[in-house]
Amino acid sequence: MNGEVELKLGFGNHAEKRKVTVPDGDAPAWDLDTRLRVVGSDADRVDGLAKATGRAKYTWDVQLPGMQHALILRSPVARGRLVKLQYDTARAMPGVSAIVRLKDDGAKVRFVGDEVAAVAAATLAQARDALDAIVAEYEVEAHNVEYLDHPDAPVRDDTGHVIDPWQAHEGIDEAMAGAAVTHDATYRTEVQTHSSLETHGGVAKWDGNDLTVWCSTQATFGVRNELAQAMKARGYDVGNVTVLAEFVGGGFGSKFSAGREGYACCALAREANAPVKLMLDRFEEHTCTGNRPGALMQLRGAMAADGALLAWDWRSFGGTGFNGSGGGVTFPQHYLDNAQRRSSHRDLPADTDPARPMRAPGWPQGYFAGELFLDELAAKAGLDPLEVRRTNDPQVIRGEQWLMAAERFRWKASRNPKPGSPMPGDDARWLRGVGCASARWGGMGSPGRPAHGITCRIHQDGTVESRSGSQDVGTGLKTVLAVLTAEELGIPVDRVRVAVGDTRDPSGPAAGGSTVTPSLSPAVRHAAWLAKQQLADLVAQRLGIPKEQVTFADGKVGAGDRQLDFATACKLIGPNPIEARGQRFPNNSTAFNQGVCGCQFAEVLVDSWTGLVRVTRMLAIQDCGLVIAKKLAESQVLGAMIQGMGYALHEQRILDRRSGRMLNGDFLRYKVPGPADMPEMEVLMMTVANGHTNTGAAGVGEAPSVAAPAAIANAVFNATGVALRHLPITPDKVLAGLAQRRGS
Amino acid sequence: MSVPPDDVSRGFSRRSFLKGASVAAVATSGAAASAAAGPARLADEATRIGPGEHEVELQLNGAPTKVLVETRTTLLDAIRERAGLTGAKKVCDRGGCGACTVLVDGEVTKSCMMLAMDAVGSAITTVEQLSADGEVHPLVRNFVACDAMQCGFCTPGMVMASYACLQRRGKPTREQVQRDLSGNVCRCGTYGRIFEAIQRTAQGGGR
Repeated sequence: MNGEVELKLGFGNHAEKRKVTVPDGDAPAWDLDTRLRVVGSDADRVDGLAKATGRAKYTWDVQLPGMQHALILRSPVARGRLVKLQYDTARAMPGVSAIVRLKDDGAKVRFVGDEVAAVAAATLAQARDALDAIVAEYEVEAHNVEYLDHPDAPVRDDTGHVIDPWQAHEGIDEAMAGAAVTHDATYRTEVQTHSSLETHGGVAKWDGNDLTVWCSTQATFGVRNELAQAMKARGYDVGNVTVLAEFVGGGFGSKFSAGREGYACCALAREANAPVKLMLDRFEEHTCTGNRPGALMQLRGAMAADGALLAWDWRSFGGTGFNGSGGGVTFPQHYLDNAQRRSSHRDLPADTDPARPMRAPGWPQGYFAGELFLDELAAKAGLDPLEVRRTNDPQVIRGEQWLMAAERFRWKASRNPKPGSPMPGDDARWLRGVGCASARWGGMGSPGRPAHGITCRIHQDGTVESRSGSQDVGTGLKTVLAVLTAEELGIPVDRVRVAVGDTRDPSGPAAGGSTVTPSLSPAVRHAAWLAKQQLADLVAQRLGIPKEQVTFADGKVGAGDRQLDFATACKLIGPNPIEARGQRFPNNSTAFNQGVCGCQFAEVLVDSWTGLVRVTRMLAIQDCGLVIAKKLAESQVLGAMIQGMGYALHEQRILDRRSGRMLNGDFLRYKVPGPADMPEMEVLMMTVANGHTNTGAAGVGEAPSVAAPAAIANAVFNATGVALRHLPITPDKVLAGLAQRRGS
Repeated sequence: MSVPPDDVSRGFSRRSFLKGASVAAVATSGAAASAAAGPARLADEATRIGPGEHEVELQLNGAPTKVLVETRTTLLDAIRERAGLTGAKKVCDRGGCGACTVLVDGEVTKSCMMLAMDAVGSAITTVEQLSADGEVHPLVRNFVACDAMQCGFCTPGMVMASYACLQRRGKPTREQVQRDLSGNVCRCGTYGRIFEAIQRTAQGGGR
């Protein structure tokens, strides 16, 4: 049973009334005409004080009586077989309480760091001593850790450009032949590690056959099911499994699984008959918990003299890991409505830790290549790259964003008119330039199967609870729960107590694909709205007014001049709290936009003497549907820009080909952006009413991470006149590029 | 018997060398350190310390706190695992990120790079001290007001580095803030808002 309502959707000058089919029984949908009080305001992060005082307890901080500490023995060889594992001596060492095998004799070893065994002991030091006493012998095979050395990798020339011939394609060949400008170039990105500050791991505690696991994870429910199955598969008697993750120190896509460390922790706890904590160290985090894989991308294309794209021919290769998958890339498709196009992709394996999803998996790679390619075409045609984008981008939301950003960023005045030469007024040493790029993502959320839920309780003492079993990895789910519940009930945000990260509460999605807020926010509202009906009943009876007239606003409940304070109204509840279970209904079929749009602009200053690139200014304009907690949404965009800056300029995993071991597996040699690297940054959040759910909220985690590296690479191109097609843009590449430009 | 080597299977680290070597250093310098600290555990130069655990007294947030440590135990581990104060975080355990930042005699210190025994006799201040007795320091409030955090795992270290910056400079410039915080890493990317929280506090903003 569904009903139809008319909603005012869109934004600014693009607002329009649309008939939308909405689920029966859902809370009435918000639209542009809804006057919201707390939603979209500068509400504080509700667990901010717990984090800033150090009181927040992460998995790393869990301490239980009798708790044992565990470590994993890992393979030092990149490829081979485990032939012997002997741990009797280790088992008998002081403090050692359990050892479990993670690999059978004869099993394959697939990368440096592959899990072999795990040890638990009373102290970490004792566990480390025991680890050193385990004897593991391997049969070593020849390995290859460079996917571009794989036999199926494309043939490249000295510059790294792919020289395998393109297969014929009638439409593309024709467009290329007649076009004003054509271009063919190869782009490359390196492996980026997630580098979450809290490493992977957990604390496991058995109570009979019931298992409780504190886990640093992005997927509480996924981990629960995974661990239950893994333990059962190994013959353990398993009752209820509870996963707890109230605070999670980052994930960025690497923490969807309990991993081998999760299994090892639970098995050790069972064998030791005591709680066990197993947290990875920084080197393990860099080398054994996945990464954003490297990619090689070749593009040829054609453009008309007016900037219209005519052809886009793409082939790419993804470096993965021993599993040979997960290296896919995505290029900006929204420019290509009128272009002849073709694309192909191939993943190539190597004897390394497998790729894992990382913040917009595959998109920053493909957007870097695609957006820089666009600037190179524009340069050949003598066109402003921003105008080229506006010519080819049919998206109405981004159309507004391009204009708004260009003005705010002073695009025309900031653009280097003579790339490779200093801007007027700058010293001869410094090359300045600006670039821009688009952002795109879906992130409209989904109902879940079974449907996601939220519990809302209103207590006699006037407190309100909103609960989800889903996790908050720093993106702000807790604040979303509090703000939406406060809005619905017309009470201050601090009146709402929130709970997340406990699988005994209603299920929600994993924190991936920018889906938590869009998936859960409608259920939060629904739960509060249902609870509100029950309180409205009580108030209507007490005041002798019709229930339909009862409103909740400004801390009052009632109608006209007959009002009760919210706290007074709650006294009518009695000892059993009002409890409602909100549900996530399917997305409405009509939506203003099926995704989110954004764009970013960057300015760089390149030191022509040292080759060092400094980002001096960045601007992002980002839509995420309805903005619920403004400061938190902005924080996510700022963070994505900074991570993107690291990806563009600094970050790369460096492997020793001979040993297969990572050479920079720590924060001293794997450079993530630091305080001294920070440019001036600005974020403008743009609210768009999509009407796809009762809130219309979309996700914001991924989209801004798509644009940042491309915008910076384009700025370097504008500054230096050299298209640096291999990220990260380190000083050596800049100097080589400048030298080549001078020579040619 | 010597102290077992630390982490040899994973490669020989600079700090594991330091941890191993420090037994001798403590045996000779312990007298001076403990004279200031009071308790006599380390006072006798002839006393051989380690392997295994022994008790030392740390001046933790103004309170003498007895903890069991090994000679190789870092100050960070002593604070977290033994004293139970988990505000300071273990992130890299190698001085590369600042998540474990505390003040030792007022100086910004990466507590993963100092042995617990070397901290005997010094005044150690952790993030918990900035909200002791229910009084929350304005800097901490400004971290919340500016949303200077996301996942929050770097935040206690950032707060301590920021606090030290304010103590030292009063009204720091942006460049000074950037320099003073350079030992601290935030993967979520909250730097700009941390700078803002520091500036607000310097200007006397209570929240």
